[in-house]
Amino acid sequence: MPRRKPVPLWTIVRKEIIANLLSYKFFIVILLTTLLLFTSFFVLYKDYKGRLADYELVRAKPGEPIAVLPPNPLSIFAKGLDEAMTRSFEVSRIGIAVFAGQKSGNIIFAYFPTPDFVYIVKVVLSLVALLFGFDQISREKESGVLRLMLSNSVSRAKILAGKWLGNFLSLSVPFLLVTLLGFALINLDPGVSFPASSIGRFFLLVLTALIYIALFLSLGIFVSALTRRAASSLVILLLIWTVSVFVVPNLGTLVSRQMVDVPSVKSLSEKQDQVWTREVLELIMESRAKNGRGTGDIAKNHFDAINRELNQMEEDYRNKFDRLVRLSKNINRLSPAASFVYASTELAGTGIGEESRLKENVLRYKDSVLPNLERGEKQAAAFAYRYRSVGQVLAQGGLFDLTWLVFFNILFFALGYVAFVRYDVR
Amino acid sequence: MLGTLIKKEILNSVFSFRFVVIFALLLVVVPVTIFILTNDYVRKVDEYSFRQNGIENYLKNYAHFNRIMNVIMPSQPPIPFYSIVRGISSDVNIAKFDDDPLPAVFPLLDLVFIVGILLSLAALIFSYDAVSGEKEDGTLKLMMSNCLARSKIILGKIIGGTLTLLIPFVLSMILGLFVILLNSRVAWTGTNWATLAFLLLGAVIYVFLFLVLGVFISARHHSSSASIMTSLFVWVLLILVVPNLSPYLASLISPAPSQIKMEREVSRLTDVERDDLGRKLQDERLREIVKKYPVLAERFSEAEAKARVEKDPAFREAYQARTKEVDAAWSEANRIQNKKRDDLQEEFNRKVGAQTRLSRGLSMSSPLSDFTYMATDLTSTGIMNLRHFEQIRSGWEHTYWDYVQGRTTALQKQNPAVDWSNTPVDVSDMPRFQYKEEALAARAKGALWPFAILMLMNLIVFSAAYISFVKYDVR
Repeated sequence: MPRRKPVPLWTIVRKEIIANLLSYKFFIVILLTTLLLFTSFFVLYKDYKGRLADYELVRAKPGEPIAVLPPNPLSIFAKGLDEAMTRSFEVSRIGIAVFAGQKSGNIIFAYFPTPDFVYIVKVVLSLVALLFGFDQISREKESGVLRLMLSNSVSRAKILAGKWLGNFLSLSVPFLLVTLLGFALINLDPGVSFPASSIGRFFLLVLTALIYIALFLSLGIFVSALTRRAASSLVILLLIWTVSVFVVPNLGTLVSRQMVDVPSVKSLSEKQDQVWTREVLELIMESRAKNGRGTGDIAKNHFDAINRELNQMEEDYRNKFDRLVRLSKNINRLSPAASFVYASTELAGTGIGEESRLKENVLRYKDSVLPNLERGEKQAAAFAYRYRSVGQVLAQGGLFDLTWLVFFNILFFALGYVAFVRYDVR
Repeated sequence: MLGTLIKKEILNSVFSFRFVVIFALLLVVVPVTIFILTNDYVRKVDEYSFRQNGIENYLKNYAHFNRIMNVIMPSQPPIPFYSIVRGISSDVNIAKFDDDPLPAVFPLLDLVFIVGILLSLAALIFSYDAVSGEKEDGTLKLMMSNCLARSKIILGKIIGGTLTLLIPFVLSMILGLFVILLNSRVAWTGTNWATLAFLLLGAVIYVFLFLVLGVFISARHHSSSASIMTSLFVWVLLILVVPNLSPYLASLISPAPSQIKMEREVSRLTDVERDDLGRKLQDERLREIVKKYPVLAERFSEAEAKARVEKDPAFREAYQARTKEVDAAWSEANRIQNKKRDDLQEEFNRKVGAQTRLSRGLSMSSPLSDFTYMATDLTSTGIMNLRHFEQIRSGWEHTYWDYVQGRTTALQKQNPAVDWSNTPVDVSDMPRFQYKEEALAARAKGALWPFAILMLMNLIVFSAAYISFVKYDVR
C-alpha cells in the first residue's frame, strides 16, 4: 500500500476560508464590519473637517503669544485626546488662559464614547474575532469532521496552524480592504492632508489592530480546544471579552485613583483662584496705604508671588497626576484592550503621553515668551510643536504595549496548541 | 400549567453552564464596583468638605466684594448615589490647563454600565436558543404533542428566563448594597432607597426587553448557531453603535456652530465692530455739535481742554455738551452691539438646543440610551441635574448680589471715604450656596419618557416574538 502524501498546510487554510465564505456568520460579520467602519470614517471625517474650520478661526496670528495646534488628521481614526490637544492656550502675564476650542454645546456627546476606528476595533472586531474562533475545535468535533481529518496523515500542529491562518485571513482581508478603502477615500479630499509620516503611522495603527484581532482569535481557538461544546466555549469567551474590554480598564482607573491621592481639577482651580484674588487684594491695599507711590514694585512683588505659588501648586499636581497615569496604565494593561488603546492612540499622536508632552511644551513656551511680555513687547515668537516620532513613541511605552499584545498572542496560541494536542476528538 | 413551564425553564437554566458563568461574573463585578465607587465617593466627600473649609478660611481673612465671586463659585457636591451611578457628573475638565483626561480614555464603570452592557448581553445569552435550541434538541416537538397552547410555552419561556436572570442580579445587588449599608460614611435616606427601587424597576424592564428580543430572534431561526450570530449582531448595533453615532449624526443633520466660533463672533461684535460703530456715531454727533458750538472745531488736546474748562465758562458749557454727545454715541453703539450679541447668543442656544434634542431623540432608538437617560435623570446625575444645578446656582447668585449691594450701601453710609469693594469685610452673614437634589417626583417625571419608550419597545418585540413563535415550524 503506497504511503499517503502529507496534506499541505495550504489545503487546510483553503478549506477554512471556503467554509467561512459560505457561512451565515461570515455574512453577518462582514456586513457589520463594513457598515461600522465606513460610518465611523465618514462621521469622524466630518468631525475633523469641522474642527479644522474652527482652527482656522483661532489660529495664532504672527506675534500673538498663543499656542494652538491644528487638529491631527489621524484623529479621524484614533480621536483619543485630540480635542484636549487642540485647545488654544493664550499666554499672558498672569498665566495661561485656556479656551476649550472646538467643544460643542451638545451634552449628549458626553454620554457615550467616540465611535472611532480604535473603538470599533477594540470592541466590535475583538468580538468578531472571538466569533471566528469559538467553535473551531468543538464544532468540528461535534460534527465529526475533526476525526476524519486526523485519520489522514496530518499533524495536529498543522491543523491548528491551518485553522488559525485560514480564519485570520478570512477576517483580516475584508477588514484590511474596508479600512484601506476608507483611508483612500479620505485621502481624495485635498483638505485633509496626511503628511508622509502620518501614512506610516496609519499603517502601524492598522498593524496594531491586526495584532489585537489575532490575539482574540487565538484566545477563541484556545478556549474552543478546552471545551467539548461550542455553546460553552462561547459563554466563556463572552465572559473574558466583557471583563477585558469593559470591566478591567474602566475599573482600573478608579482603583488607581484610590491609591494615588490626586486632587481634583476643581480643587486645584479653586486654590489658584484663591491665591490670585488674595494677592491682587493685598496689592491694592498696599498701594493704597502708600498713596500710589512705588506701585510698580509692589505690583511686581505680588505678580511674582502669584506666579511662584501657582507654579508650585501646578507642579505638585502634575507630579501626582503623572504618578496616577503611570499606575492606572499598568493596572489597565492587565487587559489587552487597554494596551491596544494606549499603543494606537500614542501612535496616532492623540494619547495621554502626547497630551502631557504638549502641555510641557506649552509651559516652556510660556517661560520663553514671558520676559518679552513683561517688557511690554507686542511681538512673541510663534509656538511650534513637533509630535513625537514613531521611534520615540515606541521607546516611551509603545513598544512595550505592542510586545505585550504579541506576548498575549503567543501565549494563547501556545496554550491552544497544548490544549488541542491533548484534545479527545471522539 | 404555566407554572410547570416556568419551573421547567428555571430548573433547566439554573443548572446550565451559562448560568454559573453569569452568576459568577455578576457576583464579583457588582459588589466590587459598588465597593470601589463607594470608596471613591467617600474620598470625594472628604475633598469637597476640605475645599469648602478652604473657602471659609479664605473668607475669614480676605473676603471683599470685588473679585470674591471667583472664589465662592458654587460647585456640585457629591451625592450619596455616586456609590452606584456616576452619570455625566464626572466629565473631563477640558476648560482648565491642568485637566484630567483619564475619563475620556476609559469611561467609569457603574451600575448603569453593568446593567446596560453586561446584563443585556447575559439576557441574550440566556434566550438566543430558547426556541431554535429546543427545536434542534427535539424537545419542542415533544412539548407540542401534549395539549399545550403555544402562547403558554412562550410565556413560560420569557417569564422563566427573566426570573432566572434576576436571581444572580438580585443576589449580587444585595451583596453590593451591603457594602453601602456597612459603610458608616454613606448615609442613604428613604428617598435614596425609593429612587433605587425605581431604578431597579427600570433595570428589570430593560433586561426583560433583551430577553424577549432573544426569544424573538430565536423564533426567526432554525439553528441556534445562526440565532446567536443575529443576536450578537443586533446587540452590537443597539448597544455599542447607535448611541455613540447619534450625536455625530445629529451634528450633521442639524449643525450648530462650535463654542469657539461663537466666542470669536461675540468678541468681534462687542469689540472691533463696536469701536467702529462708536467712532462713527461719535463723529456724526460731533459734526452736529460743532454747528452749535463752533469753538469746538478747534483742535485741542485733553490737557488743554481741561485748562480751558477751568477758565472759560462758555467753553465749559460747550465741552460738557460735547462729552454728553460722546457718551451718548458710545452708549448707543453699546446698545446696538449688545442687542446683536444677544440675538446671536439666542440663535446659538437655539441651534445647540435643537441639536441636543435631535441627538437625544436619535439615540433613544437604542434601549441602552433610554435606560441611561432614565437612570441618570432618576439619580440626579444626568442632564436634568445639570439644569437643576444651574437653576439653584443662578437663584443663589441673585441673592448674593442683593446681599453685596445691601452691604456695600450700608458700609458706604458708615464711611464713604473707603473703597469698600477692595477692603476686607466680615461676610459671616453672606448667603451660602446650598445644593438640594430635585424632588423625586420631578426626577421620576423626567425619567418617564425613556421609560415609556422602553415599555413600547417591549410591547413591539413581545408581539413580534409571539407571532413568530405561533408561526414557527417545529419540525
